Amino acid sequence: MKKSLRFAAVLLLAALIVAPAFAAGGAETSRQAAGTPEDPVTIELWFGAAITEAGMIPDDWVGYDIIRNELGIDLKLTMLPSSESDQDQKIQAAGAGNVLPDIFMVRRPVLVNLVNQGLVAQVDDCFEKMPNRTALIYDADAIGNATIDGHVYGFASPGAIVRNEGLLVRKDWLDNLGLDIPTTTDELMEVLRAFTFNDPDGNGKNDTYGYGAFIETDANLKGYPGSRLWPIMGAFGVEGLWCFDAPNAGLNIYKPEFFDFMVFLKNMCDEGVIDPNWLSYKKDDFRAAWKQGRFGVMYEQNAAYASQANYAPFDSIFPDGEWVIIDAITGPEGHASIGAFDMNYRIYAVSQRAADAGKLDKICELLEWMSSDEGYYLLGWGQEGINYVFDENGVPVAGDLGDAAFTGADGQVYTQLRNMVFYNSDVELSSRYPTYICEVSGKEMSALRALREMQGMKWTNAIGSSTLPTPSADVQRYYDQSLAEFLSGAKALTQENWDAFIEQFNAVGGAAWNEEGVAALEASGLIRE
Amino acid sequence: MKEQQLAKAVENKRRRSRLSREIGRHRSIYLLALLPMIYYIIFKYVPIWNAQIAFKDFRAVQGVVGSPWIGFANFKEFFDSFFFWSLIRNTVMYSVGKLLISLPLSIILAIAIYECTRPILRKVVQTLAYLPHFLSWVIMYGILLTLLAPGDGVFNDIVKLFGGTPIDFLSNTKAFPWVVLFSDAWKEMGWSAIIFIAALMGIDVSLFEAAMVEGASSWQRVRYITLPSILPVIVTVLILKLGTILDAGFNQIFMLYSPQVYAVADIIDTWVYRQGLLEFKFGLATAVGLFKGVFGMFLVLFANWISKKATDSALF
Repeated sequence: MKKSLRFAAVLLLAALIVAPAFAAGGAETSRQAAGTPEDPVTIELWFGAAITEAGMIPDDWVGYDIIRNELGIDLKLTMLPSSESDQDQKIQAAGAGNVLPDIFMVRRPVLVNLVNQGLVAQVDDCFEKMPNRTALIYDADAIGNATIDGHVYGFASPGAIVRNEGLLVRKDWLDNLGLDIPTTTDELMEVLRAFTFNDPDGNGKNDTYGYGAFIETDANLKGYPGSRLWPIMGAFGVEGLWCFDAPNAGLNIYKPEFFDFMVFLKNMCDEGVIDPNWLSYKKDDFRAAWKQGRFGVMYEQNAAYASQANYAPFDSIFPDGEWVIIDAITGPEGHASIGAFDMNYRIYAVSQRAADAGKLDKICELLEWMSSDEGYYLLGWGQEGINYVFDENGVPVAGDLGDAAFTGADGQVYTQLRNMVFYNSDVELSSRYPTYICEVSGKEMSALRALREMQGMKWTNAIGSSTLPTPSADVQRYYDQSLAEFLSGAKALTQENWDAFIEQFNAVGGAAWNEEGVAALEASGLIRE
Repeated sequence: MKEQQLAKAVENKRRRSRLSREIGRHRSIYLLALLPMIYYIIFKYVPIWNAQIAFKDFRAVQGVVGSPWIGFANFKEFFDSFFFWSLIRNTVMYSVGKLLISLPLSIILAIAIYECTRPILRKVVQTLAYLPHFLSWVIMYGILLTLLAPGDGVFNDIVKLFGGTPIDFLSNTKAFPWVVLFSDAWKEMGWSAIIFIAALMGIDVSLFEAAMVEGASSWQRVRYITLPSILPVIVTVLILKLGTILDAGFNQIFMLYSPQVYAVADIIDTWVYRQGLLEFKFGLATAVGLFKGVFGMFLVLFANWISKKATDSALF
């Protein structure tokens, strides 16, 4: 026994002695490449894939050769995980080891962490080196989104289209029950009750609900219970996490109307007019549920609702079914809003290591090339004649290219980098959301039409939310958990309990978070009089 | 004096040559042990060096060595968390709960499979019991939602059929812990039973034959032969599990939990994920890891000592 212990101790000591060598990693060779096709500069790029389920760009992609021959860059691509939290984890782990790639996509909260650690390069001077791309993509708002403490730490390009979600109602159910489109919270409640208890689909079963949702939150814009309840929150004037209007600027939760909204939502839960699975659903479960006809009112994104692939399952089960996009519901005090919107940006940051290695100019060269005609169409749609053809309006379309088309199973992998060049131009949107005829019902559908309708509804401007401070994990948990407990009935939703919750929330750190947020709003001039 | 030194040197040389002879004779065993040893050195011992960041304000650019020392500040942040006691309570509740539910079920399953006299039935049951272990918690969540959803879950359909009120198992604070404990038992029971089946295979068959001749019933054979024979293995498994008492199963909880059940679902690892990893506080995450490791080590030592005193059976 003693011998074994001695052996183990010696082993441990030996391991600890050699550990620093392993733990610190090997020394790097830092020969500066010439940046020519013969001696290219290696640029490692971690990108957010356009179609995460489609897989990686193949090794035989023509773009590698073009970039090498024209720019003298040997491009090494790595696809980031599809889930945001997995992306954050991968990037922060690389940051912790000081092995971040040369250029990588990153969310702003993570970027702030990396900047605090000195891991990200300032790119203030880069925009003049990319005149074409800057004119197309990097406007003042975009640059502001990647600005931290007065310096720009990334290239922010437009992400998902803003105001691309809407409140939808089953028109066929309304017609079956002889109901009108609801315009007020009272009318909405009547419709929800009728959809739940009056057999709107006429199948003789008690298998439908009024409202469908799931919890979709973040720490900047979509506070608990999340954006899927926004049209109802909007009726009480508390949509979005932050209020930008004086004199209530700050967290919406402090407004008395938030309590009124909670009472309304709790009432929906108690009456059973909201799908009881809503607290358990993940996004895919929710989407499967509306396609199976479980509920008649929902808040959904334009493409998730109306693109060909997404609408087809609903169309095959309910060829006579029809969703209509309706405007914001008006609440008791006259408030109405579909939701709060912020500009969506995808930020690509350059690591300090890459800047120290003198790669910043080559990265600018690469980004500028991406926004040239050659780069734009190659990254956006693939090769002309192989992956796309132009229609009579100059819009790239799949034509009869089959699987090799940019929309086909084989061709779509060549467009994985398209989010690095797209800026939501009309050409892109027309190409992405073509008008089509439904296979079963023969209806004409268009996700672009749905988008334009949704954008035309009443929205609340919350631009700048993504730059506001995020709470600590404890504050976030207390906020989410308490609201959830009120809704589930674990805590009685009375004014007294609500006041006690606010008091405790302040004590846990909520007050400090709010003060920090208000200061940030003031400093950025975002408060509306 | 010189003679003594000479004798000692000769003795040492003899011992060394005996050792090398021993190693040479059992070289295949040593070779087999080499791979796991390399694994442990690289992945378990070398990282101990980096544990120093638990006491540092870790700055990635400055590295592990260059980051400034901050004493116990990271530990203090963990202990000062508003939810500290809730995190400890939930973590221990799930760890101990899983031990109390999964371990006996695994033993029962192992004995049942061992006692089964129909080979085909035994193989089918064994395979079906192992199968869930290979499913990820993402898949398991989908299965649980299908079974337990309040709207159209299979279980709640039965409840409604008999006039009961549906229960939202995944967002109800009273039901959620049971979902965690029993889904874990379901997923891991078959896999955990392997070690007990292996132990059962080692029991001398003549003991059972003698007991049958003496007229012992099946239950008596289990009680007086099977269980005592596998007791050392049970103790070993128990002691090893105690070492990970503060690991309550991150993947499972992370997939299943939601704000409605944070009060009974948030465990140390999920908190570290949110507060430590997502906020780039690797020093804090390491401090909590170190705390868990040291706590677990003392528990193993204590359990081993108790076991030795009480049953004369121990790990070391």
